[in-house]
Order: sequence, then structure tokens, then C-alpha cells
Amino acid sequence: MPDWKDEVRRRLARLNLAPAHEAEIVEELAQHLDDVYERSLKAGLTEVEAQQVALTELADSDLMQKEMRRSQKPAKEPPVAGGGRTNLLADFLHDLSYAIRLQRKNPGFTIVAVIALALGIGANTAIFSVVNTVLLQPLPYKDPERLVMVWEEATKAGYPQDTPTAANYVDWRDQNQSFEGMAAIDETSFNLTGSGDPERLEGRRVSTSLFPLLGVEPQLGRVFTAAEDQPGSERVVLLSYALWQRTFGGDTGIVGKTLTLNGAGYTVVGVMPARFQFPTRDDEAWVPIAMTRDEATNRGRHYLQVVAKLKPGVTLPQAQADMSTIATRLQKQYPQTNTDLGAVITPLHEHLVGDIKPALLILLGAVGLVLLIACANVANLLLARAAVRQKEIAVRVALGARQQRLVRQFLTESVALSILGGVVGLVIAYASLIVLKSFIPENVSQAAQISIDYKVLGFTLLVSVVTGLIFGLAPALQAVRFNQIETLKEGGRDAATGGSGKRLRGLLVMAEVATSLVLLIGAGLLINSFLRLRKVDPGFKTDNLLTMKIVLPDAKYEETAQRAAFYTELIQRLQSIAGVKSAAVTTNLPLYLQGNSISINIEGRPEPPPGQEPIIVTRVISPSYFDTMSIPLLKGRQLTDQDTNKSPDVVVISETMARRYWPGEEAVGKRIAVGTVRSPEDWIQVIGVVKDVRQFELNADPKPQMYLTYRQHGFFDARDLVVKTDVDPSSMAGTVRKAVWEIDKDQPVSNIRTMEAILADSIARQRFSMLLLAIFASVALVLAAVGIYGVMSYSVAQRTHEIGIRMALGAQTGAVLKLAVGYGLKLVVAGIAIGLIAAFALTRVMATLLFGVTATDPTTFTLISLLLVAVAAIASYIPARRATRVNPIIALRYE
Amino acid sequence: MPYKLSQMLDRELKKGSAELLILSLLEDQPRHGYDIGNLIEQRSKGKLRFNVASLYPLLYRLERRDWIQGRWVEKAGQRRRRYYRLTAEGRKVLAAQRLSWREFVEAINRITGIEHA
Repeated sequence: MPDWKDEVRRRLARLNLAPAHEAEIVEELAQHLDDVYERSLKAGLTEVEAQQVALTELADSDLMQKEMRRSQKPAKEPPVAGGGRTNLLADFLHDLSYAIRLQRKNPGFTIVAVIALALGIGANTAIFSVVNTVLLQPLPYKDPERLVMVWEEATKAGYPQDTPTAANYVDWRDQNQSFEGMAAIDETSFNLTGSGDPERLEGRRVSTSLFPLLGVEPQLGRVFTAAEDQPGSERVVLLSYALWQRTFGGDTGIVGKTLTLNGAGYTVVGVMPARFQFPTRDDEAWVPIAMTRDEATNRGRHYLQVVAKLKPGVTLPQAQADMSTIATRLQKQYPQTNTDLGAVITPLHEHLVGDIKPALLILLGAVGLVLLIACANVANLLLARAAVRQKEIAVRVALGARQQRLVRQFLTESVALSILGGVVGLVIAYASLIVLKSFIPENVSQAAQISIDYKVLGFTLLVSVVTGLIFGLAPALQAVRFNQIETLKEGGRDAATGGSGKRLRGLLVMAEVATSLVLLIGAGLLINSFLRLRKVDPGFKTDNLLTMKIVLPDAKYEETAQRAAFYTELIQRLQSIAGVKSAAVTTNLPLYLQGNSISINIEGRPEPPPGQEPIIVTRVISPSYFDTMSIPLLKGRQLTDQDTNKSPDVVVISETMARRYWPGEEAVGKRIAVGTVRSPEDWIQVIGVVKDVRQFELNADPKPQMYLTYRQHGFFDARDLVVKTDVDPSSMAGTVRKAVWEIDKDQPVSNIRTMEAILADSIARQRFSMLLLAIFASVALVLAAVGIYGVMSYSVAQRTHEIGIRMALGAQTGAVLKLAVGYGLKLVVAGIAIGLIAAFALTRVMATLLFGVTATDPTTFTLISLLLVAVAAIASYIPARRATRVNPIIALRYE
Repeated sequence: MPYKLSQMLDRELKKGSAELLILSLLEDQPRHGYDIGNLIEQRSKGKLRFNVASLYPLLYRLERRDWIQGRWVEKAGQRRRRYYRLTAEGRKVLAAQRLSWREFVEAINRITGIEHA
């Protein structure tokens, strides 16, 4: 019997019927023609004649089309398959409830997808909340964009941004045309006594103009008056909220009371609000700077920080030009002190945020990539599920659903999924912020304020929706594009197995691999840098060292000899305690603070021109310091207790100082002087050379340094106590503090920390970036591995039949494995190739974060690529291995 | 046959009456398309004939209007066929159309005087 279907189909072609519907009509009409044909044969017609009779039934096909078009015009659209004109909101609600039912039906799928999305969105939310607070939020001062820092520029001496002298500050303040106001700030500290245990406070001497300049009001009382900035005026103090709460129990009657700071009485005039911090969180008390005439005319000591507020309408370059003019004038006026000394302006925000900015931006980029990988993963899951759902889609299309409508339904489903991921992600972000805050280096401004606010919530919502659209679009388009007729037919092969579905999934895996490679290489470079940084020899041994700050107040310990007596007794007492090996004092511990430098003259050399004197980092120490810190002596002898004010002045210098100023000569025995030599006793003899220590940062080369004994010199106070212990150093803290109080019960002890902790802190910024990027890269690696595994499992499952035949025909397990794993590896290698190119381009932005490795370090690139290949190989091998274990009989039956 | 219809009139009449014919045939029992076409041809003694191209669009139109309803029915040993049955709505329409057809025919007859012939 002839097949009429094609004939019928041809006549219906122009109607553009929904394919499933067309199929039904074709079937019905073809049957009719069959009946006509059979009847004709029975009536005695030949087959050819019968066929002609049947075909005349289809005559008038124009009429049929016209009639069909009338009859097929939908009278009313079915709800699920509704067209574009129906209610969008109703459609949305319907899709949403369908989506929710669907997720409930597939809890496994939902959980995996939501976890992947939550990781990606959570990481983004957490990092964004840090960026939001630290970089985006304006400083909590009035007109923050007009606030700047003004520095001395002494690039030739190695200080592109140096703290200015008081005299320069005064000249700047009086001569500039650009600023509404300018305020000076001097770092100081107070010993608070008479209010419970003696306490050491970090604080600032500030110009009284500072508070109006910042535009902040006190919570209690008042800020300073201009009159209080005059030397000799009444001593007044402003307290931080934290100090007020901690030490004074939030006493509202505190204003007007008198505190003892460094042995002198200060009247409390006000308490600042809890949110106020200037410049850092650690500052807890402010007093007027009230410079004396001597201080205000000093051009030799560089110690102030200067903050200024631009006049409205004045730009940064204009102000810079103004300041440069003044600096040039001062150079001519004071050649002795101001040669090669400029002035430079930086925004206050930049100063307070510090160098965390590039790290944060890179992390933000990194979490963005993690999210993309999560998207690719979920898109892959959806593609696989879409293959399973083809029948469902075909039915919808048969019922007249339009593509646009279907795409909308799919997107509703994926956005619902991603919003669920966003909610879980918020929880992850909230939890990780707690951890994150403890990693953020302390000196980052506003770090304590980091929280999830409405802006962060908005960001999360936006990211969730965009994420849902990104990973939902590909599967949605994929799903509506295949042939519904084939699918409706029994045994119809699933469309996503062949052609475009497979290709799309392969592309997604490649993209995942490429993205993870970029992240892993970034993390690898940072880890590499960090390990190198850790390996840098600080120049001393950090183990079993307990440190603390003991600042002797000027009022009580006026003379160098008084201080010396205190230190001598303290060290003797401590060294007699069981568990203490040795104890020492020093001006500053290594890795703690730059500065405290002195310019020197060298005997027998002409006086250098101004601005080119040797500037030496100077530490006043007890002779026990080198042994306590295990700083090796390279030449000559150490300082001893016999070097006193009754014996010739002596100094121990660092190897860098010896090399720089006596190259190829014996430094020991040479003499130097601090300042002008008026008598032969002013010369100080070099008696020994010790190994360099890193004074400020592990990744900064040591500067020339010298050590003087506290018995001979009072240039700087010794402020840090360091104790070498036989036992766990932190367990000795109480004992050591007690020893101090036995000598002076009013002497505060603060900053009790181990040297290990100080070392860890000095690389906190590097550890922060390294750890976070490493975490994100690991997440990326896991997601990519899951992605590869998923695609390989699917592809192997699809090929079970083929594998079965091959094995039945005698293929070796190895050969089959090679075939299956080969496909996965091909994707991975392509992904790695793309990733390497991207990494070459992208890691350059990290250059400032790296130490000891280049941004394109070949070792890191190679190792990370190999790591990824290995992970990918395992992820492909497991599903492939499973396929080869299948009994060929079962595999052959597998359909 | 008391009257003879020209070709053109034939088509117009068929169109107007076709709905009535189909609904009438489905009044007693569900039928498939071939059956319907066959019955029309037999009972009109070959005077009325619908081919596939005209019958099925008509069936679909009636179905759209919800006067008849098509269902795939599979009987043992046979391939499945689409059977149409009258809906409640169709039953009402059939009654109304029968009435107006009768009135129409009576009116024509009165005018053409065929009754008196």
C-alpha cells in the first residue's frame, strides 16, 4: 500500500502547524486515504487506478489549506502553552510554582546546583562586602573627597613620601592658597595611671583644627578650642568611645574630670563617637599638639603627619602645583635642611586604605571567575536534565507553546535556582566574613565596619539573577531547538547526545578548565611568593621570644641615667627568673617600624652636602640584645655592661652599613659622630659588625643600621622589652609584667606579644591575599573537576552501547579506557591552552603582590597545568573505568 | 430528485448544510472520518460527496467550536482511529440547526410550489 503521509504533509506544509499536531492530522488523513484505496481495490480497480482515486481526495488542496487555517486558528490558548499576549505576571507565577515543584522532585540535582551556586555567590558577596566597606564607602568624615595628606617628598634620600618637619608644616600651612585648613598629627602614647591598672594608650597630638577639618562632633562634651593649641595652655584630652567604655564604664560625668597621663593631669573635655577613628582604630586619646617655638621651628626632625582639606573647587593637581611652589621657595630659603625636599599630596582615602586595594580588586576578579565556573557547572547539569526533559518539552510544543514562552519558563526555573543559591550564599558569606575579618590586616581602615548592608544585599540579588540568566540561557535555547516529532516517537534519541548538545557541554568544560587554570596560576604565584617571603631570613631567631612595650614617662624618668637604672634593674630581675634565658631592651623591635634614623658624620671624610648625609637607622639597646635576639656578631666585639658613660662611646653597626660606608675597608676601629663634632669625646668608635636584620618588612632590603647602648646614649628611648625564654614565651607574660611592677607599680606594660606573632603580622597582607586566592582557586578546581566528571559520566553512559560492542569484539580494557579518557583529556588540554594564554595576560595585574617570582613564572605555569591535567585525568578516568566493567551483554541491550 | 442543483449552488448548499450533516451522523454514535464521508455518500446516493480536503477541515472546525470531540481509539487488532462524538454543546446546535433547516426547506418549497407539483 502506498504511503500517503508525504503527500498529506506536503499539502499541509504552508500551514506551519505545530509539528506534533501536524503529525496527528497526517496520520488521520492517511488512514482515510488507505480506506479509499482499499475500497477501490475491492471494487476491482487496479493498484494504479486505486491510487489515483485516493489522490483525488486531496484535490482542492488550496481549499483545504484555507479551511484548515480557519479551523486551526486557536480559539483559546491553553494556559501552560500561552502566547505572548497573556499575563506576564500570571505566567511568571505559574512558571515559578512549576519550578519549585520540579526542584522538589529532583532533590539531588537541586542540592548539587545550589551548593555550586552558593559557593560562587557567597564568595562574591563576602569579597564585595569588604570592597564595599573598604574601597567604596566614603570615609566617615565630612566632604571626604576633599581631604588629603601632605607629605615631604625626599625621593633622593629614599623617602618618596616622608613625614614632614614641624617648621615645614607651619610654612605650608601659612603660605598655601589651596586649602581650607591644614592640621598636624604626631604619634604619641600615654601611660594612664590612677584609673585602675596602669594602662598604655596609643594616641595623637593633633592641631585643634583637626576636628572641624574632619567635620566630626563629639558624642559627649566638646572638641578642642583654638586657644588650647597654644603652648602652656591648660592640658586637655579627648577620649575614644572604646576607652571611655572600657576604663571608665561609660561614665557620663567623665567630662571635666582629670586623668593622669604620663604623670601629668589632663582634663577630659569630650568623648568621640564609637564610629570615629583617626587615623587608626588603635588611637584612643587625643591632646592638642600645642607646639612650642622650638618645636615649630625645627627643620631636622621629620615626624608629623599632615592632613588638609582642599578649598571647594580646587583640584588635586592645582593644590599640588601650589605646594610644589612653596617647597621650591623653602629649598632656596633653607638650603641646609630643605635641599631636594619637595611636597606631595595624596588623597586621604588612598592613605587610609593603603596597599590593600590591588589585592582586593584581584580577589573580586577571582571570585567573579569562581562564579563563572559555578555557572558553567550548573549549565552543564541543566543541559543534561534538559535532555531528560525533552518529552515534556515536546508535549508543550505540541500543545502550541511558543519558543519564546518556553525560554521564559526555563529562565524562570534557572533564576529560581540561582536565587536559592544566593540565599544559601548569603549564609556562607555571613559566616566567612567572620573569618575574613580576622585575616584583614589591622591597618586597613574601616575593616571593623565590614558587614552585609543593603548595598551588599542588592549586589547579591543582582549577581543571583544575572547568574541565573547566564547559566539558564544555553540550556533553554538548546532545549527548544530540537525536533519534537522525533522526540515524541518512541525510541527517539535524545537530542542532547549528539551534535550541538555535546559540543556545548564540551565548550563549557573547556571554559571551566581555562578559568580554573587562570585562578590556580594566580594562587600558585601568590603561594610561591609567600613561601619565598617566609624563607627570607629576618636576621634573628624568632622562636621563644616574648616582647612587650614599656615606655618610661618623661616626667618621671627625665635623665638618661634614670632610665638606664630602670633598664639595668629590670634586666637583672628578669634574668634571675627561672625560664628566662636572657632579656634585653631596644628602641624598636625589627619588623615593626621604620624610622628612628640619625644622620652621621664619618671621621676623616669631608662633610657631605646637605641632604646627602648618611642616614642610619638607629637602635638604642641593652648589651644583652644581640644574644637575646640571636643576631650573630660578624666582626669585632659586642656591646658590654662595661660600656658606660664613664668609658669611650662605642657603636655596633650592621653589615650593610659597614659595606656601604667602608667598602673594602675594615670598619671596626673607625669613628663616626652624630651631628657636629665639638670635642674629641663626640666621636663614637665602631667596635663590632653584626648581621643585618629586616627592620620593617621582610620583602624590603635592610637599610644601614647601628646599635648604641642605653648607658651612653639617650637619642631614642628604649621602648621594647624582649625576653628569651626556655618555655612557651606566652606563658611567661604574667611573670614578666609582675617584675616590671615590682620596680615601678605605675609603669604600664602593653603590646605583649611573641616575636612569632609579630613576624606573622608583618606578612599579614600577603597571607590575606594568598590564603583567599588559594581558597577560591581550590573551590574552582573542585568545581571544574566535578564539571569534567559530570560530562565524562554522561558521555560514557551515552556510549555504553558502543563500548559494549567494542568489548564484545575483543577490545582490551586499556584501549577502551584510552578512548574514553582521551575525549576528556582533549577537552582539558584545549581548556589549558586557552587558560595559559589568558593567564599570561592576566597575571600581570598581580605583579605588585608578588615577591621573588615573576608574573609569568614558568615553574608555576608548568606545575599548575600539570596539576590540572592530573585532576582532569582522574575525573575522566573514574567514569570511563566504570564503563569498561559493564558486562558486554548488558551494554548491548542498553538503550 | 425533485430539484436539481447547479454546480455552484451545490457548493454553497453543501457548505451551509455540511455542518448539519455531520452533526446528524454523530447523533447516535461516535464515528471516524472515513465512516462519516462514506455515510454521507451512501445515504445521499452519491449526490453529496466530501473528499478528504473538505471533510477534515470541517471536522477540525467543529471540534474547535467544541460541538464535536475527536478521540484516538484503539480497538484490538486494528490500528488506532480518530472517532468523533457529539458534545452537549453540539447536541443543542444540532437541534437548532435541524429546526432552522426544516423552516428553510418549507419556505423554499412554499415559494417554488413543489408541494403542489
